[in-house]
Amino acid sequence: MSEPLRIAITKGRLLDDSIRMFQKAGASCSELLDPGRRLVLDVPELGLSAVLAKAPDVVTYVEQGVCALGIVGKDTLMEVGGSFYEVLDLGYGRCRFALAAPRGFSLSARRGTLRIASKYPNVTRSFFRSLGQDVTVIKIEGSVELAPVLGLADAIVDIVETGNTLKANGLEIVSEVAPVSARLIVNTAAMKLRKSEILELTEKCRGVLNA
Amino acid sequence: MTIFKAASPEGTRDKLFAECLRLRGIRSSLMELFSSRSYKEIMTPELEYYDLFVRAENPLPQETMFKLVDRSGRLLVMRPDCTAPIARLVASHFKDAEGPFRLCYDETVFRSAAGLDGADSELPQCGVELIGAPGLRGDIEIVSLAVDAVRSAGLRDFRLELGHADFFFGLTEELGLSREDEEALRACIESRSFALLDELVAGYSGEAAQCLRRLPYLFGGPEILDEAAALTSNPRALAAVERLRDIWRELVSAGRGDCISFDLGLVQGLDYYTGVIFRCWTPGAPSSVLAGGRYDRLLCDFGLELAGAGFAVYVGALASCFECPEPEAAKTLIFYESGCLAEAVALLGGGAELSCFATEAESLEYARRAGMKLLVVSKNGIKEVDPNV
Repeated sequence: MSEPLRIAITKGRLLDDSIRMFQKAGASCSELLDPGRRLVLDVPELGLSAVLAKAPDVVTYVEQGVCALGIVGKDTLMEVGGSFYEVLDLGYGRCRFALAAPRGFSLSARRGTLRIASKYPNVTRSFFRSLGQDVTVIKIEGSVELAPVLGLADAIVDIVETGNTLKANGLEIVSEVAPVSARLIVNTAAMKLRKSEILELTEKCRGVLNA
Repeated sequence: MTIFKAASPEGTRDKLFAECLRLRGIRSSLMELFSSRSYKEIMTPELEYYDLFVRAENPLPQETMFKLVDRSGRLLVMRPDCTAPIARLVASHFKDAEGPFRLCYDETVFRSAAGLDGADSELPQCGVELIGAPGLRGDIEIVSLAVDAVRSAGLRDFRLELGHADFFFGLTEELGLSREDEEALRACIESRSFALLDELVAGYSGEAAQCLRRLPYLFGGPEILDEAAALTSNPRALAAVERLRDIWRELVSAGRGDCISFDLGLVQGLDYYTGVIFRCWTPGAPSSVLAGGRYDRLLCDFGLELAGAGFAVYVGALASCFECPEPEAAKTLIFYESGCLAEAVALLGGGAELSCFATEAESLEYARRAGMKLLVVSKNGIKEVDPNV
């Protein structure tokens, strides 16, 4: 038996969903459910050893090859980019990127350069580039909905799940930007050097997800 | 000013003794190998005109290039790639010559790293270009030299992966894809985005579409070639598979087949490559340590009807796979009386260094502290002094 494949999993909701998927695939996930002080958590049934990380770090770990695999949201992949294989849409962690603005806002009615606030400046830039519209992007670290309320920006680009937060702040969705869900990513060299193990795992996950 | 005193620019760093030894060792064994195969070294300028790298086929985004402005206001870049300058060199110096020529280089390319991800902006590369050898023999020479290159650098556990541009182009041509869709599809296969690929191909039916859907999985041992050949009847794609098989057979008979694998989904930089494409992977390196292929159109851009093929070894990535011990400190100190410099210098090498002190007593004291033995060279000859007595 070769050494386990190291996988980086995004902490939080994606971790819970990932544990559920692994359990359906036949793993007990006892270490993942109760990490204690351990930093590296084994999932022996699937030949994995997991580390938990913040989403952008998952991408860094996989790109640099210290983890062969990673589970991370498409939102992060779109924002930070990088070079890796994106082999599986895991289907969970579903939400979407949307452009939202105070009621009555219309993209075509405004003249002059729009100011758009977002936690995701790269996603925002490439969305407006695809529309052929030049905008000023303002990076905000949290509570992006505040920006139009305070008059800092005309509209925001953010992750939307239910839309309740938007509504509570008098905002509505102007345009969908992109759907988001969790992805399984693979380091390029690992894919080549450990093909059979990785494909076996992706097939297992695919089987569970389609069940 | 002072805040930058201790820092080097993002993506660059100082390299000290052990790392230098390791890099130097790899570079010299590669260059020795290339020269033994009749590849002649060339050097192109570190600085080039920006325009050289903004031809349509160049896959390098402009923000990755370091730019400068010369006296007359023209835009220059720090060489971001070796092949385009070499194409320029061939086009301007070998206009009327007939191929083949064999060229090799040991240079640094500069690419502005995105920052804070540990990537280097200065990338040492050693590589070869075989110009004017369009056929199978040219492919075989380049691929087998690539195997020998990583071996000569000391790598034992590695995989050289072969693909062919025409497999992908044969299929997309059959589907009649627009340039844009073709690029979207290529990006999908490059990043193995299986889900998105299914979506893109969904509108098409038939053999070529089926085969494209399967393309990201078409990597592995020689059995992949049989699988690929069974999936398509497109003549261009089949010819690509046969070419790979021919290369592989020759390498196997030359004892270089064990490390060869195939990836027909190897579609990076396809704008550049027109035939065989290859990359070398090894455990311990997060990305490939060598990349190359055939680019028969590149020289045409420079007005020369000549085929080209070559590869570059990413020396930095390769070096990171090896441990290298720190160079040893000198064990012997040599103090010489005035007039005996020549005799003292003759004793250097093998871990000896000259004493910088003016007297034998000071030299002795230094040797004691540094744990060295002392040789005293005088007109009467050489005597060894044990500093601990």
